[in-house]
Amino acid sequence: MAGGNPALRRYRMRSIAFSIAYLASIALATWIIPDDAPADLLTVALAILPGLAVIGWIWAMGRVLVELDDEYLRMLDVRRMMVATGITLALTSVWGILELYSPQIPRMPVFFVFPMWCLGLAVGSLYNKLTLGDAGTCT
Amino acid sequence: MKNRLKVLRAMRDWSQQDLAERLGVSRQSVNAVETGRYDPSLPLAFRIADVFSLPIEEIFERDE
Repeated sequence: MAGGNPALRRYRMRSIAFSIAYLASIALATWIIPDDAPADLLTVALAILPGLAVIGWIWAMGRVLVELDDEYLRMLDVRRMMVATGITLALTSVWGILELYSPQIPRMPVFFVFPMWCLGLAVGSLYNKLTLGDAGTCT
Repeated sequence: MKNRLKVLRAMRDWSQQDLAERLGVSRQSVNAVETGRYDPSLPLAFRIADVFSLPIEEIFERDE
């Protein structure tokens, strides 16, 4: 049932579509924008395209929580997202304070926040598995 | 919260998957409720009661 849940099927389709859009827009931006490009309208517009795909991905993850009619699976996913959010907030806050007080600490690119959150989902799955016996859905 | 889902299922010769399909939820959900790892919401508890044609208090009882 979990694998065949219509909400999860829709999520998978959306996720694949946004992943393709992300990779295509990254390739396009890399191909067109030179390394020393000025911050003009074309550069900004092309650079924003992958960001829109990421926003779509985030929307798809939020949407699956709304559409998932199985309350237990929804709870597992909410727990994973809470763990991921907690880890991301903790790491970025601590690193940010380190950056503030020590100029020798390397700057963390903001770009890494979302991948960090996604890795946090994996930790959330592990937490679910260890505490409830079920990891959650594939989101 | 304790429950009698396993006994009630056995009386009807239903698997967890059978019950899950009748409730419109995943087998994991039935397993989690049955083993006491997850307390269902009131709407789901009512659906479970409807499926077994029993009042909720004959299926679930609070932990002492």
